[in-house]
Amino acid sequence: MREKLIIALAVGAAMLLTYNLYNIFLVLPDEIAQGYMYRIIYFHVPAAWVGMIGFFAAMTLSVLYLASGNFRYDSLAASIVEVSVVFSTVNLVTGSIWGRVQWGIWWTWDYRLTSQLVCVLTFAGYLMMRQAIDEPTQRARLSAALTIFGCFNVVIVWKSIEWFRNNHPGPVISFRTGGGKMDPAMEHMLFLNFLALLVIASALTLVRMRQESTAREIDSLRRAAHV
Amino acid sequence: MDARNFTFMFYGFLAAWLIVLVYVVSLARRSARLRKELEDVKQLVSTAPENRT
Amino acid sequence: MNFCAQAFAVARKDLAIELRTRESLNAAGSFAIVILLLFSFTFDPFSDDTKEFGGGLLWLVFVFAGALVFNRGFARELPNECLDTLLASPLSAAALIVGKAIANFAMLLAVELVSLFIFGIFYDVSWLSQSAWLALVFALATWGVSILGAVFGAFTVNLRLRELMLPVIIYPLMIPLLIAAIELTNTVLSHQPVSGQMQWIRVLVASDVGFTTLAWVLADTILVN
Repeated sequence: MREKLIIALAVGAAMLLTYNLYNIFLVLPDEIAQGYMYRIIYFHVPAAWVGMIGFFAAMTLSVLYLASGNFRYDSLAASIVEVSVVFSTVNLVTGSIWGRVQWGIWWTWDYRLTSQLVCVLTFAGYLMMRQAIDEPTQRARLSAALTIFGCFNVVIVWKSIEWFRNNHPGPVISFRTGGGKMDPAMEHMLFLNFLALLVIASALTLVRMRQESTAREIDSLRRAAHV
Repeated sequence: MDARNFTFMFYGFLAAWLIVLVYVVSLARRSARLRKELEDVKQLVSTAPENRT
Repeated sequence: MNFCAQAFAVARKDLAIELRTRESLNAAGSFAIVILLLFSFTFDPFSDDTKEFGGGLLWLVFVFAGALVFNRGFARELPNECLDTLLASPLSAAALIVGKAIANFAMLLAVELVSLFIFGIFYDVSWLSQSAWLALVFALATWGVSILGAVFGAFTVNLRLRELMLPVIIYPLMIPLLIAAIELTNTVLSHQPVSGQMQWIRVLVASDVGFTTLAWVLADTILVN
């Protein structure tokens, strides 16, 4: 059943991405100020959204694990965090390349990129911590607690860095067209590509979750065999 | 300027896809490793009564 | 014993041990002074710019030295199964963590005061004006850092590579505290009025309240016998 769902999601994502890429490269016009380059936004921003939604979904699942003790919530949270770290990294790298073209420097210390970097570092620490704990219950408990701390921190970090960077202004990545509003067709494509990336992320999360189930099965067999 | 923009845009898309592709490959390798480990442990468990004295 | 009495009992125990052995204080204090010395080689210590980034420099020294204090916090309970005994006792997990945080706070504050004094001498910086504001900033930021140090000291006490895992996990979480502390310290060191930077005081208070509440709520999850 899960296999079929993963395949269905993968096929759906492929179809949606093909449609989106056709529109992005061949249909939508260039942006007034940035020309051809602006198209990177269709991966840069949706990847950030997928990452952020993933981290907060993981926090919800962590709370559910602590309330119920059901390891499925822990497996799903860990899978979502891993996939969200990947998509947040995509956001950082594409932002860096975009900044290189716009401002001539590889990293801008724009408050959104910096906040995203802090999230990636926090949840990379989460993944490292999980690797360092062998006992499943302890791993699940501590992972849940760290996710809750991490997500609380994300909220404060976002505002703090925005104020800090406003005190020390620097280049800011912006995608507003002339007049301050995004073209409706471009905005529509942004949300469509967000949907495509969300479907890819869901498929990857399910694959990762299947691996967590297999790892738990191996662990319980070892314990049963006292190996 | 347009050629340079196009080159960097291409690098940007390439980087995005490469990161996801590297992750998918690492997932596939981890799946293969876990499947093998599961078979090994199942075999170990099935022969365990003979191993115990 | 009520919660506060339990927490202060834990803090008194830790501080008594520390005053007897001086392990963490000596290590953290020496480390802080050495880092201040090394920083003097990276830029001109007497330039006017020092007042612009003196706050950043100081708080980096404090958190690096703090890691040495936080690592010892729960690690000192490992020999002779002291941690298991504490968890099996009527002491609540939240009181244990808050007590460790109070001890961390006292030790880190001592290191900070010594470092501030030496910083003033090495870098020719006056920190006596607006000393009440500076004391408030130090108290708020040090409490936030201490409660995080206590919580994640408990997290990592039984992990492999504890000394590496603690800084890796804790430093990203300290960023809002650090930004606020750095901005306010720079304001004080450059003799600007702190009243114009009240949003950073709010960040410190919100972080302190948030992290302390989370520590109290999640204490039983983090420390399980």
